[in-house]
Amino acid sequence: MFSRLIYRNAKRSRKENLIYFATLVTAVASFYIILSLGKQNVILFLKQFESDAIDKLLAQIPIVYIFALFLLFFLILFANQYQLNRRSKEFGLYLMLGMRKKRLVLQLLAEGFMTSIFALIGGIFIGVFLAEIISLTVSKLVGQGIIGHQLSLSVGAIFFTIIGFLFIQFSALIILGGRLFNREIHQLLYEQMDNKQDMGHIKGNVLHILVGSVLLGVAYWIALYRLTDFAGLTLFVTLALGSLGTILFMRGFGKLLGLWASMSEHKSTKGLHTFTLRQFQENIANRSTSVAVTSILITLSIILIANGASTILSLENLYSRDASVYDFTVDGDSQKVEQFLTSEKMEPYVEDLNFLKIGRMKHQDEQKEEDRPSPLVDWSKLREQLIMALPSEQKEQFLSGEMQGYSISSENPEALNLLGVLEIDAATPYLIPESSYNGLLEAIGEKPLNLHSDEIALYFNPDLVPIDQLDRMPVLDHILKKANKEGQSLMSIHDQAIDIRSSIPMRGLVADRSVKIFSAFIVPDPMFEQLSESYNSYWNFRIPQKMQEQQGLMKPMMEVRDILKSSGFQFESYLQNFGRQLFYVVAGSYTILYMGFLFLIIACTVLALQFLTQMKQTGQRYLTLSMLGAKRNQMKKSMYKQVLWTFLLPMSLACVSGSVGIRAMILFVIINFEDEPLLYPIAFTFACFVIVVVAIYGVAVARSADHEIDKLRWKPNID
Amino acid sequence: MVRQGKLLEVKDLQKNYGKKNNITKALNGVSFDILLGEFLGIMGPSGSGKTTLLNCIATIIKPTSGCVLLKGENISAFDSKDLAEYRGSRIGYLFQDFALLDNLTGQENILLPLSIHGVDFAKARAKLDELADFLEITDILNKFPAQMSGGQKQRVAAARSLISDPDIVLADEPTGALDTRSARNLMNKLEGINRNSGRTILMVTHDPNAASFCSRILFIQDGVVFHELRRKQEESREEFYERILQLLAQLGGGSANVF
Repeated sequence: MFSRLIYRNAKRSRKENLIYFATLVTAVASFYIILSLGKQNVILFLKQFESDAIDKLLAQIPIVYIFALFLLFFLILFANQYQLNRRSKEFGLYLMLGMRKKRLVLQLLAEGFMTSIFALIGGIFIGVFLAEIISLTVSKLVGQGIIGHQLSLSVGAIFFTIIGFLFIQFSALIILGGRLFNREIHQLLYEQMDNKQDMGHIKGNVLHILVGSVLLGVAYWIALYRLTDFAGLTLFVTLALGSLGTILFMRGFGKLLGLWASMSEHKSTKGLHTFTLRQFQENIANRSTSVAVTSILITLSIILIANGASTILSLENLYSRDASVYDFTVDGDSQKVEQFLTSEKMEPYVEDLNFLKIGRMKHQDEQKEEDRPSPLVDWSKLREQLIMALPSEQKEQFLSGEMQGYSISSENPEALNLLGVLEIDAATPYLIPESSYNGLLEAIGEKPLNLHSDEIALYFNPDLVPIDQLDRMPVLDHILKKANKEGQSLMSIHDQAIDIRSSIPMRGLVADRSVKIFSAFIVPDPMFEQLSESYNSYWNFRIPQKMQEQQGLMKPMMEVRDILKSSGFQFESYLQNFGRQLFYVVAGSYTILYMGFLFLIIACTVLALQFLTQMKQTGQRYLTLSMLGAKRNQMKKSMYKQVLWTFLLPMSLACVSGSVGIRAMILFVIINFEDEPLLYPIAFTFACFVIVVVAIYGVAVARSADHEIDKLRWKPNID
Repeated sequence: MVRQGKLLEVKDLQKNYGKKNNITKALNGVSFDILLGEFLGIMGPSGSGKTTLLNCIATIIKPTSGCVLLKGENISAFDSKDLAEYRGSRIGYLFQDFALLDNLTGQENILLPLSIHGVDFAKARAKLDELADFLEITDILNKFPAQMSGGQKQRVAAARSLISDPDIVLADEPTGALDTRSARNLMNKLEGINRNSGRTILMVTHDPNAASFCSRILFIQDGVVFHELRRKQEESREEFYERILQLLAQLGGGSANVF
């Protein structure tokens, strides 16, 4: 008998209160999704060559898990509270019939367990499904077919999902059961909305709104102008002020709605206007704090989702290999390497094989008596010209000696970056023989340099020196052109005047990072022999274009990697670079978006359950309305309006705060929106996502409330 | 008292609950008329069908057979849309538990039927003031129900039932939740409204005291009208009350104990 009751009640809970059950399922799915990150295709793929970093990330998962556990605990608590409130009359009845409280609580736990099992089955199913979809989407976005798909079912994740979910579900039920234990039967039987209609004094409420607005204003101001002061500590101040401001604002606003209701007299006899307004007010004013909390959660979720989405945008950069040409660079004895790379095994994979030599310029002949060897290069005239080309403010700083060091960044003017780079390198510059660089130019379809015997070209590494356009440096070109016109030489080596070639296409010299130089002189081969003491050599090559077209880039790259690994040569590949970037993008956006959506879902659920609780408690009012002649659709219209306002109020404040947050992130370059072609599609997609999530909740609430109204039937009470 | 024609005609009203083999006949062919300006009471023991009767007239439930005519129109055959038009505008209700919305102020509660039927507030202003004045609730118009006493609540509810000038007010045990003093006060007001403005009132009650304010009382039992008491022209309320008590005693000692 007892077990049948439990089974039936659990079944009824699922059927009658879909939102409650859906919340449980969502919680389970969320756990699974974060726990199964390690089984995602991309992560498995990245593990092959970035395993350290991945392990570090995976070590972070428990933290995210515990944080999610903490957040979802409140969600579950709230959902159960709502569910128990719904059934309080029934519990009262059980107790009236002589059930002992202990037994009732036990029954509740048993029912909770029953419901949990169904929620776990549904949640894990959905979680696995979503994780699969995410996994496939990401592999599709990233891998273009290279990342093999495998079912990401993770037994460990399922295990911890079950443990975590049962833990929070039972903690919530025990807390609520304890509360139930201390209730009187009368309270249970005649549970009603608190009859508090205390709307406070108008002055006090206006004060609340004013103080709230001021606090929000200050928070916005700090966010926009002072966020990075005091080592970012102001961020916490901003959050605290913003939260407090939101809470006060909501408190004052909710209560002042009553003033609006009583003031709009001309409207007060238009349909259910007053009723709708009062219902809304009751919902907001009596629970202003939790409404404010949902608003804060939505704000956070908007900011997090924007941040995550912008991280996805950088996925674009993964494939924009503006500066990088070569897929592989092999070190080692140059003859042996050449032999190996031209062997039958490797040949089909090798295109644009190029031998790169990088040397460093000698000093003046050592015989000089000074301690410090003086450089062979004299570039003082070029330096002068570069200084003259600086914007006036920096020129003054530079000339007055105020400017001590250089930082090379994309925000600096070109001249300043060049000056900085040359100051570092020009005394004993790196040298690249013309023939090596011509090989690179050939690979990208450019003409060879054909330098004169007294001519050099300046090379700047695009990976380290920000260059707007890879083929042009306008300021440098202007200076060179002018000097050429005036017949002036800007540089000399070994006291011999040297011409400088106007800017040439700049590309990465090797596949990844083994060559970390800012700049170099590209010199004619004889000059290289003459000036460089010793040199390093690298063999670079690319995967043939045809092969890439047929198989994509990744597959042949992985094959080559395997062959090279077995050969024992030192090598590096573009894969590392790719993997590193991919890893940051995937790990970053995954966790950030996850948190963002978690916040959103929690906020929506809280709003939904709150509304439905009020609806349930005040259902009698709709009955009275219908007695007074209100039509069903009139009441439903009023109820839809209430739902709309209930969601819109916290949403709209959150939208304002959220956009300030996004603006601040752009200003302080936490996120970077440039002229990305994907910016608008992605922004649009995520905005749609958020709106759809909120809309789904809104519709679900409206439908439940609809159902609640439909259930209201006038039952004649036979006296 | 102005007596013109029949306002409401109840003709052979039957209401059955339950299915084939287990039918309860709550109303078993009730017929009577209510004249314009009448204050009619309906008394009967528990389960006699008096609330079912009121609900049928109130259009809250549909009779199994028979009809209810309000000014010649058969309202028991109306569909729900037409009924909504009727409720609150041509029929006013007074409930035992007041049925005020506790998140609306007194005034907002009173005006609710007007809003529902889209009547301009400006036109109702004078009416509201008059009613509030008569029912002595002017001071509490801006209070919420939680801040009112039971008697005040019921007077606010009374104002709400009258605001839209209904043809008839249906009252279901309006004194049921009130103490003696408040109950008498309310009944005095209802009687005043009936006398002064000729408003027709139909009241279901247990309470002989409340019933003694009526001009005519129908007694129903087992779904049929089986007796009727009329207040004589010169009869005082106390005398009428005595007669009601006498009848109840004859019927079997108190309203709740007639088998």
